Amino acid sequence: MLRKLLMGLWLLSLPAFAATDSQWVLDQGTLTYHVSHPLHQFDGVSRAARGKGVCNDAQCDFLIAVPVKSFDSGDSNRDLHMLQVTRGAQFPLVTVRTRMPESASTSATIYLDLEIQFAGQTVQYKQVPFKRVAQGRESRITGTIPAKLTDFKIDPPSLLTMPIKNDIPVRVDLTWRPM
Amino acid sequence: MLANIAHRSRTCLAGLAGAFLIVTSGPSLMAQAMGQLIGTVTDPAGTPMAFTMVTTTSVESGYVLPAATGTDGTYRFSLPSGNYRIKFESRGYKTVEIRAANVSGPWTVVENCEPEAVAQTQSNTTEEPAQKTAPSPSSKPTEPSLEDLGITPSQAKGNAREQALLDRRSHMLKIHQRLGLITIAPFAATLITSAVAGGKQTSTTDRDLHAALGVTTAGFYFTTAYFAIRAPKIPGTQTRGPIRLHKTLAWIHAPGMVLTPILGEIAFAQKSRGERVHGIASLHGPVAIVTGAAFGLAVASVSFKF
Repeated sequence: MLRKLLMGLWLLSLPAFAATDSQWVLDQGTLTYHVSHPLHQFDGVSRAARGKGVCNDAQCDFLIAVPVKSFDSGDSNRDLHMLQVTRGAQFPLVTVRTRMPESASTSATIYLDLEIQFAGQTVQYKQVPFKRVAQGRESRITGTIPAKLTDFKIDPPSLLTMPIKNDIPVRVDLTWRPM
Repeated sequence: MLANIAHRSRTCLAGLAGAFLIVTSGPSLMAQAMGQLIGTVTDPAGTPMAFTMVTTTSVESGYVLPAATGTDGTYRFSLPSGNYRIKFESRGYKTVEIRAANVSGPWTVVENCEPEAVAQTQSNTTEEPAQKTAPSPSSKPTEPSLEDLGITPSQAKGNAREQALLDRRSHMLKIHQRLGLITIAPFAATLITSAVAGGKQTSTTDRDLHAALGVTTAGFYFTTAYFAIRAPKIPGTQTRGPIRLHKTLAWIHAPGMVLTPILGEIAFAQKSRGERVHGIASLHGPVAIVTGAAFGLAVASVSFKF
């Protein structure tokens, strides 16, 4: 009897073990950079992010890639200038990599170490907080990356001889679904 | 075959095991000889490593040229002869940097010195190596790659020519912007002096000053316009946003800037003969005002957010 009970428990536990090797795919992703200039402010938005997460041995690795060209600030001339100063033709992708314990994926607030490749530079941001909201099987992650132009060795572009601010915070809104 | 083995790197680090480079001097296309640098990056098992970042930096000029390996682990650069630092970066592996690849002869071979390095097939031509089937990153429970995201090597690869085009465009438009701002000063001065140049008690000096300022304005204006017109166009770019208004206004201030001096010349001649300004010349003032307003609005349209 005890043997049957143990066998039953073992069979029930199989799906839980099987779930440790899981994959996530980015369903919807919006990245928005914010630029401040003494005369005006503007946002550049990209909805062209692609992403995937692979969980293995209780660790999850995520990769997100966004074409630099896909950011739209509402003005084609400004976008081309941003593309030029960020060397977007030479380095056409922004990639964000992060690794986290699989257990953290159920927390309401996640602190992530990010490795960002952009404009030919690789920069790490430590312990960036993100909010996680479960939406059915999907997880929506929102947060802001405190990026600075100097982190990526980008000369601040000027308008009317006044340069933009060094801070270009990037708002992140990502919806992940299990594959 | 290999006439000159110029350098053997001793800076290789564990991780990327097989990085093998061949730099060949190609035919001299310009004053400086160009060469092809091709190679393959593999892991210790000999598997080609896709999307490895390969960055060449010219020791002499500091010029940086990056590229990513293809799905078969190969990469290719066209470089002027010289000394280069070559860096290989791939997540999960230690960075390999070859600090001085001296391209000085018809052939230069830089060979990885990592003990467990796996020798690669040498080639004495600059043709692409035969395609090998790279294992799909998704087939292993490992971290995701760009290929997993459906991004092809060509999408991940930089385009130095397009970047140069963007650089030239931005450079010319910066000059356009500065000259446009400078133009405002003589333009405003011309409009101010018009009050004394066109009045009943006008003198030759007043008219000469007004005309000189007008000519200066026109000179700056057309130089400003030249840098906008000659700035390279980026294919596939649709004009949208405030820049559309900026460009549309040029259809008003550009003809105005041609007409205003012509009408001014007629008015100047009439005044010089002691006549009252009449006929088409009487439009000189209104045309100049409309031109000035359109020009000012064009500057404001790209300077402020409405």
